[in-house]
Amino acid sequence: MNSNQYIDAFSRYLRHGDLSVMAPFCENSAHLERMAVYRNGFYKGCVDALAANFPMCEKKLGNDDFRKMARLYVDHFPPEQGTLVGYGKNFPDFIIDLLKEFEFESSDKVGLTVAQNFSADLYVNLADIAYLDYAWLMSLMSADSNETLTIEYVTDLIEQEIEFTELNVKLNPSVLLVHVKKDAFSEWISLKKNNNDAITDRSSIDVFVMLWRLQGGVQARLLSIAEVALMQALQGKGRTLGEAFDAAITLDENFEVSDAFTACLQNELLEINSN
Amino acid sequence: MEQAHLKANNLYYSQENFPQHTIAGDKLGAGLSLKPEHLDDILSLPVQAPSVNHNLWFEVHTENYFVAGGPRLNYLRAVRENHNISFHGVGGSLGSDHKAMAAHTKQVKALINEFQPILVSEHAVWSKSDGKYFADLMPLPRTQDALQSLIDGVDCYQSGIGRSILIENPSNYLDFISDMDEPQFLVEAARRSGCGLLIDINNLYISSKNTGIDALNYLKQIPAELVGEIHIAGHDPDPTLGQSLLIDSHAAAVAPPVWKLLEQALGLFGHTPVLVERDANIPSFTELMKERQIAQNYLEQDKVLRNVNAAGNEVLSNE
Repeated sequence: MNSNQYIDAFSRYLRHGDLSVMAPFCENSAHLERMAVYRNGFYKGCVDALAANFPMCEKKLGNDDFRKMARLYVDHFPPEQGTLVGYGKNFPDFIIDLLKEFEFESSDKVGLTVAQNFSADLYVNLADIAYLDYAWLMSLMSADSNETLTIEYVTDLIEQEIEFTELNVKLNPSVLLVHVKKDAFSEWISLKKNNNDAITDRSSIDVFVMLWRLQGGVQARLLSIAEVALMQALQGKGRTLGEAFDAAITLDENFEVSDAFTACLQNELLEINSN
Repeated sequence: MEQAHLKANNLYYSQENFPQHTIAGDKLGAGLSLKPEHLDDILSLPVQAPSVNHNLWFEVHTENYFVAGGPRLNYLRAVRENHNISFHGVGGSLGSDHKAMAAHTKQVKALINEFQPILVSEHAVWSKSDGKYFADLMPLPRTQDALQSLIDGVDCYQSGIGRSILIENPSNYLDFISDMDEPQFLVEAARRSGCGLLIDINNLYISSKNTGIDALNYLKQIPAELVGEIHIAGHDPDPTLGQSLLIDSHAAAVAPPVWKLLEQALGLFGHTPVLVERDANIPSFTELMKERQIAQNYLEQDKVLRNVNAAGNEVLSNE
């Protein structure tokens, strides 16, 4: 027996469930059905990981429907790295495509119990909540900041009469901006806080939510349009503080630079850009 | 166990290149799987209390720490301050698809450099094929070309991390057509790759029940000097097939026959670090520590027996 043939057949069984491909490799055909242990283990491992990585999605959908949807995702996007940490990068987009398919075909291919009613609360905001879940996870696991810009550092610059607005800074690696519907963010917060309030705000306004890690926990808040401009200016390679403030003021001439900068320092959002 | 002396016939590696897998095994007592639920309990353990926490150490699944930063790594750093830790890989896929091994071991090596684990282990299985990861531990057919593939995988892994590893025997639920039995397969892989063995007693017990092999005979075929670690864990009957198919669940307390087999294994291998694994239905830390104490008692009983034997031999030689 060639072990490559064995692994190819085993892989086909795991992905598609056709037991017959494994028959030539089994010593005792009466035991062939035991192969299910491995297939169950594969799906369980992946679906459990998705449930852990998308906890508010699972809470919203309910365990049974979430697991059906997650299993379908595993079929389309099996893991490619030798770890399930961070598995599910495409899950939010997958939800969008799946719901479009349901809507278009008016059918329920995976047997979701509520799939017949697309206006049901269970589907509203689901993809946005998945985006927020994943951003929360990525922020939690992101790299630690190299050199956080602190109040003490800025105070030293001021005392030395150095113009701190010329300081080159960037957002720390945990800061992520997510573009979602405003009511999706409200619902996500409500799910996180275990509030069972019905969704009353049917606002379809697009908003940016910022997530960041502070002292081991992930924080989240809505950003104003000027705050978005400030944060976007500081993403990636970063900029001088002065340039970033200008970007915010251009959009809102009443933007309180001082308050925003203090909040950035208190929340350890910025790091000194050494490049 | 003293520092292992591997008698490899066809080493892929120079023994000078890698630290031996058994690092003063006598220094390690029984260990526990590190579970996030128990972090507060672990961090509040008295630092200097050898009578309570004699040689307590913790094992983690290496891939769970493939993160860039954040609290997960910080917790592990905090545990590492006062305890030895062991890295147990589950996603290396030593038996197949070695193309992505370098990227995988790069992350393992970074963790090893920071945390300096006392043991590093993986599984003698496959879990990747054609760029897909199947998130489970699939057995290899025990054939010559599968053996070579496993040896190549161990080679890639050890070269990638710069030290030798232990490889673990799988749980078997059915038999695949093979050329050799599992002890032969694992011993040959160890001898030719320079790695050591992690003998999972629960896996062995499950395999013996599911496929009818003789567990004690299996253990007798394993040279003691190759064994660097032992695992024990709980298992459950298959929900459909019942006791005719035991599942390696890690969701229950260690079963009495597994304790018995552990005692027999320690009798054959001598003092070897023992890990009590638990991954589901996690009990309180106190409960797990009680189970760990049973394993510790077996280790100390083994030490007493060896001392008695040593004393007896000395008397005999004097006569």
